[in-house]
Amino acid sequence: MNQAMKTLAIPWRARKEFSALLRLRVGISLVLFCAFAATTQCYSQDDSSEKTSAGYVPAISGAFAYIQSARGGVQTLTPQIIPVLLVPMGHSLLIESRVEFTGFFQREDGTTGRYAGKVFKTIDYAQLDWLANTHATAVVGRYILPFGLYSERLAPVWIRNLQDSPLTYAIGTNPDGAGNGFMLRGVAASTASHTIQYSAYMSAHNSITQLPAQRAAGGDTSIFFPAGHVEAGLSYQRSLEGYQINNEAAYLSWQPQRASVDLKAEYDRNHYGDGYWIEAAHSPQQFFVAPDFFRHFQLVGRMEQLFTRNGGGHGLASVNEQRPEVGLNYLIHDDWRLVSSYGRVFSANGNANFWNFGFTYRFVWPLWPGRKS
Amino acid sequence: MNTQRRNHFLLALVACGACLAAALAAAGQATPAASGPPRAQSAASPSAATASAGEKVFTANCARCHMPPMSLSPRITGTVVAHMRVRARLSREDEKLLLQYLAP
Repeated sequence: MNQAMKTLAIPWRARKEFSALLRLRVGISLVLFCAFAATTQCYSQDDSSEKTSAGYVPAISGAFAYIQSARGGVQTLTPQIIPVLLVPMGHSLLIESRVEFTGFFQREDGTTGRYAGKVFKTIDYAQLDWLANTHATAVVGRYILPFGLYSERLAPVWIRNLQDSPLTYAIGTNPDGAGNGFMLRGVAASTASHTIQYSAYMSAHNSITQLPAQRAAGGDTSIFFPAGHVEAGLSYQRSLEGYQINNEAAYLSWQPQRASVDLKAEYDRNHYGDGYWIEAAHSPQQFFVAPDFFRHFQLVGRMEQLFTRNGGGHGLASVNEQRPEVGLNYLIHDDWRLVSSYGRVFSANGNANFWNFGFTYRFVWPLWPGRKS
Repeated sequence: MNTQRRNHFLLALVACGACLAAALAAAGQATPAASGPPRAQSAASPSAATASAGEKVFTANCARCHMPPMSLSPRITGTVVAHMRVRARLSREDEKLLLQYLAP
């Protein structure tokens, strides 16, 4: 009732302007939807060919992880459970959501006392995907911001080679790496020699604790050469609230098959800082002694630097930092992995060693039995 | 500080440039079989050719970031591949080849 009274109390002119604005937005949305639907119709696919035994039963995927880290003598225990829910509706619609439960426990007095801490809950994404065709997948809801190489593809705990996020991770992903709104993504052009991919998105502001997001617009495009296993890409994002800034990224990924090496590099910049990381990972496939044992090892090295601007902060460090890091991982099983790493931070606030040890486990399970064919 | 910063930046650029140059050189030296489209390859049977093409799609796209799951029930293969199509921005054709490869 009170709400109704407040609504009536709004001046008539203001209500009329608001109504006109609403009509304009609805009109624009309808036009965009019709244009998208028309495009979809033009590129509609034929699903009748090439039948497989693949089923479309809802699934739960995700990872468990436990990482024990030491940074400058301070121990941190970090257990994580990250379930991913996948619910398909036919072959063209998919609901997917990922939630992170991350425990963060440290000794009460830094290096002595009992461990205490809390568990943080974060909704990474909760989105509805319409897989219209090769060129367009429409995404609505909360999604991971497609910025750079790391945030969308390498960040999951069971994928990342080193457990620490890059120093520049906050560039383009502030405040929580996700946007609330809509996104269009897909393959712009594909030939035998190269594939061009794109993403374009618009995010609205949200200050709800579990779903933080800032008003922003941006996009990402990359070109991939399958013969050489080379990908190069660019990302751009414009923050549209508060102190409006640009975020930019350039990245490169290369997997030379003969050397069994995975090379990745990214450069990020915005108003508060810029920096890069270069990472190389190698799994010895034909070691001269016990090759079946050694091919499960993965040796990783990463070098990164952050140069602050305008005082830094906003997710970045407040002073310049550089951080070399090496890691050794062992794939017990393709789903179980032991991880370890050592690095050193060089910073004006003081240098420090840091260590990580732990394991990750990835799972993919059906949620219920499917129909027998 | 500015000189040091410029030097670090130039070093990073040179490293990235060297990686890119080497990668492009490797792409240019690739064998014709690897650089050709999957459907252009000859094989004993159409299904074997499709599986091989699907394996190549997997190696070129999925294996860039992660290993294949050790066990993937055919009941959820379509669901998982649709999820990965969104994540990795795969084409519809790549999705079909992956389904043929993972759940023939």
